[in-house]
Amino acid sequence: MSLAHFEEGWQFLGDTARKVVRQLERKGASAVEAFFSASRTTEVTIRNSQVLTENAIEDMGVGFRVATVDNRVGFACTNIVGNEKALIETGEKAFSIAKLSPSTPHFALPANEKSPYVDGLFDKEAANVAVTEFVDVAYRLIHSVEDIDRRIKAKDGRVSCSYSKKGIVNSFGVDKEADETYVFAYVLGTGMQNGEVTPSCYDFELKRNFKLNPEDVGAKVGEMVVAQFNPKPIESFEGTVVFEPEAVSYQICDALIHALKGENVVARNSPWVGKIGSAVTSEKLTIVDDGVLEKGFGSRNFDDEGHPSQKTVLISNGKLESFLHHAATANKLKMKNTGNASRFNASFEMAKQIIGNGYKAKPEVYPSNLTIRAGKKDQSQLVSKIKKGLLVGSMAGFVQAGSGLISAQLVRAHYVENGQVKYPVKGGMVTGIAFDWLNQISDLANDSKQFQNSVVPSICVENVKVIGSR
Amino acid sequence: MFEIIEKNLKSKEASRASLVQLRGQKRTMTLCTVLNGVLESFSQIDLSGVSARTLVQSKSWGFSSTNRLKKENVEQTLKTAVVLASASAKNKPKEAKVKELPAQVATIKADAKKPFEKASLEDIKEIPFDACQGAMEAEVASAKATFLAVQDQKWFASSEGSRIYQKLTCLLLFVDVIAKRGSLYCPASENLGHTGGLELFDMTPPASLGKEVAERAVKLLSAKPPPSGKFQVILHPTICATLLHEAIGHPLEADLAMEGGGFGDYVDKPVMSKLVTIYDDGMVERGLGYLPYDDEGIKSSRTFLVKNGVLKSFMHDRTSAAAMNVLPTGNAHAWDYSVEPLIRQTNIGIEKGDFDEKEMIEDIKEGLFIQGTFGGQADASADFTFGFQNAYWIRHGKLEEMTRGANLSGNAISVFKTVDAVSKNVVLRPGACGKGQFAIQGRVVPAVRCEILVGGAGS
Repeated sequence: MSLAHFEEGWQFLGDTARKVVRQLERKGASAVEAFFSASRTTEVTIRNSQVLTENAIEDMGVGFRVATVDNRVGFACTNIVGNEKALIETGEKAFSIAKLSPSTPHFALPANEKSPYVDGLFDKEAANVAVTEFVDVAYRLIHSVEDIDRRIKAKDGRVSCSYSKKGIVNSFGVDKEADETYVFAYVLGTGMQNGEVTPSCYDFELKRNFKLNPEDVGAKVGEMVVAQFNPKPIESFEGTVVFEPEAVSYQICDALIHALKGENVVARNSPWVGKIGSAVTSEKLTIVDDGVLEKGFGSRNFDDEGHPSQKTVLISNGKLESFLHHAATANKLKMKNTGNASRFNASFEMAKQIIGNGYKAKPEVYPSNLTIRAGKKDQSQLVSKIKKGLLVGSMAGFVQAGSGLISAQLVRAHYVENGQVKYPVKGGMVTGIAFDWLNQISDLANDSKQFQNSVVPSICVENVKVIGSR
Repeated sequence: MFEIIEKNLKSKEASRASLVQLRGQKRTMTLCTVLNGVLESFSQIDLSGVSARTLVQSKSWGFSSTNRLKKENVEQTLKTAVVLASASAKNKPKEAKVKELPAQVATIKADAKKPFEKASLEDIKEIPFDACQGAMEAEVASAKATFLAVQDQKWFASSEGSRIYQKLTCLLLFVDVIAKRGSLYCPASENLGHTGGLELFDMTPPASLGKEVAERAVKLLSAKPPPSGKFQVILHPTICATLLHEAIGHPLEADLAMEGGGFGDYVDKPVMSKLVTIYDDGMVERGLGYLPYDDEGIKSSRTFLVKNGVLKSFMHDRTSAAAMNVLPTGNAHAWDYSVEPLIRQTNIGIEKGDFDEKEMIEDIKEGLFIQGTFGGQADASADFTFGFQNAYWIRHGKLEEMTRGANLSGNAISVFKTVDAVSKNVVLRPGACGKGQFAIQGRVVPAVRCEILVGGAGS
């Protein structure tokens, strides 16, 4: 579809969604919300030193949440948006589902409040980049990885840009729209030495414009691969571990998000229920959710229910200050809505992955940019203090929901002794309870990196159990 | 749908490509989630769309999709696919030509004893409520049950003359329980799923599934953490399915195999224990990977991947098959119309062995019986990590006390070399995969005995 067709389709979708909301209100619904979104994504994928495919995907749809006077709630959505009839039917379907649902007592939608304007979330140029430029960036990624060392191959990668639009209309005066662009450039490399393949090493850029630095990303990946040559197995021990941003952003952030999510506080699954005002982590740790970070990948003017974005202090010098909320969890717990309704988070739950995100999903609480306050030292200064331990670049394996158990495979890790990085580690795991680790943090570095929904530095954790494969 | 897509095959745009594959789809999903006895969500999702995949100069693929079905939208989608395919054609080396194949014309409708279409919304709602009710044991902090139905109709038309219509319905029920005592949380979960109708619940009613999971979670509260280190273990089919899919299955997908490492070029060479025979089969009835034709129009059949420990074949799409000069195996699958087909597993399986469970336990001096999965991941060289839900100590041939879960890790090819027993009993399990895009699949698995690294926090 041409851009003009796309904009036209969007206009029709918004107008019709508004009409359906008003119709359902007239038919007796006490609260109605339409969330409509559209995206045009172009992506080029890399496989085995070549561009594998070029894809262009466009999607547009609407989801209706409808509540009856006694707070029975139904949801229905569709991407059949070319005619009014299909949208009306979808709204009606949500209403009929609501009527036969039991009541959800604390259901709530936000009222209309003015949203901030966050700079740098949309770039007109990025929305119109020609596919040949994607191909160019892809080949530059491949070459810059492989130029580092002839034993390295670029195995996998992606260059993509989404031009995405979202709109929200509800019965309480919310009527907001926003345009955003999301640019992603990623490359993964491995090296072959003595018949042995190194672990996968990758790096990426998450941006809002198409000003990419494929040479930097590629070179960094190449260097990571070289650092993995000649790995050695290690013995089991307990020691000091510096987790690099990648490792922090994954398992450790997942544990944090689980503990901070409003739904888990409501369900009393969070280990931090009732602990507001108390120390829950090392006093070295300060965490904010920053929805208004300029050019931030997880930033937005308003959340996916239309509540204004904000900056929320979650943990201040180890003390729990707030949880993350959307309208319903805030209402249930009589706390303030923090603007963390999200329909785009990457859930591991199978049912949610099947359903998909955006207009297909009901909002759930999720951070915008979960930001761990960086320290003042370089990562190398943290490593130089280690007597016996590891520098962990990346780990595989999920954190166990609720318990916070991490038992992760070391993917990219180096053994450290007396402040010296000795050699890459072959196999092995680290294990412990994430919430214990958060109390064992002895320092943080100044190397913060942007991930999809977080901005985090390297952190140093004492007394971590390392399982060797020897 | 055939009317919408078919005429594009004769268009001027289509003539610029050496091969054109058009897919149309209608998908309706019904989701109902109950958390602690309260309805959390009840949703219906209606999707439709078309996609065009084109091969230009016999070497460069382009793909485009849209949710809009008007004539001009579909035409534009095909045009975009051709433009995209041409964009990198000049940079690409000439690869082996995708072989021309005879046209397939077929209409497939999967059987169901109790068709889902006949169930009312009230009936549907009862399923997760019953499961959640069954899980309301003492000390259960949270019980969540999710029922999901995915009703698909798929149309495939190609410039080679194929016209395939497939109608398939998958049903799934997920139960997740967290038990709590003091500050200790113990999760447990289990899934049911098949291609078919509501007869899924004849054997295992939702309430009994909920009860089983809840009892296990509560029992874990009194269990100790598992040990760490290398152990002789028996992997129950629930965890064997994850190991098979993630760490053996993925490296057997031709695109990943061609990346090097893992199974590399070991075809016709022994790669694992002689007791292991592995296949992939899109025709396993009721399997969540039951897909008689793949998304390139290739008919499914049973592909032997490993026979008595010897590597026999990889899973292929048409491109990888051409590159390796073999026939495609029907493994090109797209999660939905909106995304391109990738090489995916359908129903991957291990053939049954000669042992019953008791015999497998008897020979172990000190080891673990490992159960349940919390998912995991693996790379192309078969290095894996995945979580298990609980284990039992085995000492001197006897099953003893229960432990909590942790993660397992290692290299699956090395682990499968240590397999010294495969159970007689095989079960069909639901599975999922996130290789770039989502997929639901089946696994046909026995219990296996092997050596593995356990990452527990206990001693």
